[in-house]
Amino acid sequence: MGHVSRAEAFLSDPDRSRWHDRALWFVRAKRDAAADKVPDWEALREEAAGIKRDALSRMPELWRAFEANATSAGAVVHWARDAPEHNEIVAGLLIERGARRVVKSKSMLTEECQLNPHLEALGIEVVDSDLGERIVQLRDEPPSHIVMPAIHLRREEVGELFERELGSAHGLDDPDELTAVARRDLRARFLAAQAGITGVNFAVAETGSFVVVTNEGNADLGTALPKLHIACVGLEKIIPEQRDLAPLLRLLARSATGQPISAYTSHFRGPGDGAELHIVVVDNGRSRLLGRPAFREALGCVRCGACLNTCPVYRRSGGHSYGSAIPGPIGSVLAPSQDPDRHAELPHACSLCGSCRSICPVQIPLPDQLLSWRAELATGGQHSRWRRLGFGLVGRLLMSVAAYRALGGLGRILARTLPARLTDRLAAPWTRERALPPIPARSFRALMRDRNRTRDRFNPLSGPPVQETNSRAAERRP
Amino acid sequence: MSDARKAILSALEAAQPPSSPVPQRVATPRMPRQPLETLRERIEESGGHLQSLARHERLAGVDWPVDLATAHHVYSAHPALESRGVGVAAEGDRELALLELCVLVGEFTVVENGAVWHTPDSRRERLAALLAEHLVIIAPASAIVPTLHEAYDRIDLSASSFGWFLCGPSKTADIEQALVLGAHGPRTMALVLETD
Repeated sequence: MGHVSRAEAFLSDPDRSRWHDRALWFVRAKRDAAADKVPDWEALREEAAGIKRDALSRMPELWRAFEANATSAGAVVHWARDAPEHNEIVAGLLIERGARRVVKSKSMLTEECQLNPHLEALGIEVVDSDLGERIVQLRDEPPSHIVMPAIHLRREEVGELFERELGSAHGLDDPDELTAVARRDLRARFLAAQAGITGVNFAVAETGSFVVVTNEGNADLGTALPKLHIACVGLEKIIPEQRDLAPLLRLLARSATGQPISAYTSHFRGPGDGAELHIVVVDNGRSRLLGRPAFREALGCVRCGACLNTCPVYRRSGGHSYGSAIPGPIGSVLAPSQDPDRHAELPHACSLCGSCRSICPVQIPLPDQLLSWRAELATGGQHSRWRRLGFGLVGRLLMSVAAYRALGGLGRILARTLPARLTDRLAAPWTRERALPPIPARSFRALMRDRNRTRDRFNPLSGPPVQETNSRAAERRP
Repeated sequence: MSDARKAILSALEAAQPPSSPVPQRVATPRMPRQPLETLRERIEESGGHLQSLARHERLAGVDWPVDLATAHHVYSAHPALESRGVGVAAEGDRELALLELCVLVGEFTVVENGAVWHTPDSRRERLAALLAEHLVIIAPASAIVPTLHEAYDRIDLSASSFGWFLCGPSKTADIEQALVLGAHGPRTMALVLETD
């Protein structure tokens, strides 16, 4: 099942899809209001893009510095080439210390690596501690948004889920009360946890520190209690200096949710009293993407989710329709680099409206990258046989004047003589939400030929024949 | 494992893009004309409260979120208020979940977003700030900076193993985008600016 059919399934519930669309647009509007309050917003975006470009141009140097500084602060740095290596390192650390109960705060990287199923298979209980992530974990489904993981669900569904899984009262649908139920359950799990896993928002080479941002405080609770903290970080999260955090953090929360800053912005450096800190640095295709000039800027992504909120396709098709760990415009750029065969359809889930590029806090040229993927995947043989056949046929048709004219003539005859039911069927799915316009009897070429013949009779300076055609067209308008 | 390190670093070297010009830094913004008004607005947007207080009052004028006369469990980092119950150092870490109030001493406040910079003096203090029902941060009114740019000029990340910006209570909007305060940590947060 591809993006189109999954989107269709999402749209089959019109109330839900309308609510989804509006909820995300509301978040986008909050972002605009927050950005408007910052006078140097565009300059900040410029600076942030510059910082990320600079960081991408000297990754080996920065990661070596990070490793040295983090190590001297007492952290242990591990390196993982791919998802399986990452999962093995994390599992190994937990097993060595006999940790069976783990709390994890939001991390798209561990989602990408499918860490949870790996640990669960080894008998380790992993509890996602972000409320939205906990909801989708209890439903046994992936997050549908990178910042708001349960945005596809209505409150009644969360109530039913909590009644079933957490034993809350029947018919509970108040967000305050539902959050209180989850808080009670998760508080007990935080207190019982033997290890905490977090993602990383920014890794600072200069100091060997890293920053984790949350609104709930779950990353902090998950790491302040247990003695073992494992932080999983993708190669793209490195930035050169401490002062680079200022523009990036000023942009991040405002772009994500319209907040001037998140409730908790925590800076970790070394393990602190009596604890252990392990940092797992993961490649998993990122160095490959770095080597591709057309796509490398996507590595600058700070995972704010603004491009999802603004995307007309994402808002109306839901995050699960993408079938990738990260949905939306940025996911459609990143996913094909991981698995071009599986995600060949995603660069087409885009109208090229350009809204994502104008909103991205680090100015990633997402529409250009989606277009580049389309070209590459078309020539790389990732399209279905039927699609290739179709495009081949249309290509040949457009190359031959005679064939094009003949088919155009035939089309006009058929469109005017066949019953609308049948022509609509032929133009499906375009006609699902609208009717075909009346098809003229003659081609554009023929009309132009007539028009030019008429114009010859006039002196071009004495009277504009264009007006005549326009007034004739106006008469015909109903 | 060192194989992985070598492989990743050499893959990065092979893929290295041409060097990019040093990013143009945004000019330092000026302090808004009425910093306290902006600050109050930002803190209230984040679900917190702002109070002012003269230092000689020794916290007597604070509008506390709990009744101090009857509160059993308090963690306090401020010299003018003593810890009690599970807040006293001898108690275990997990017992801190009983805290009704945690009082911290913040270093400085960022006007543009209402965040306070705080470096906990121990893991226990950090935990107290997360597990208490209510959080009050006392910070000097003289230490305010306009934006995060000036904030990072004041911070030295190499100096400690942990530091954080705190802004408002713990919160979530994960159920239908409805804002709920007290997701995991404190349900209320007040910033008290102490003037000399």
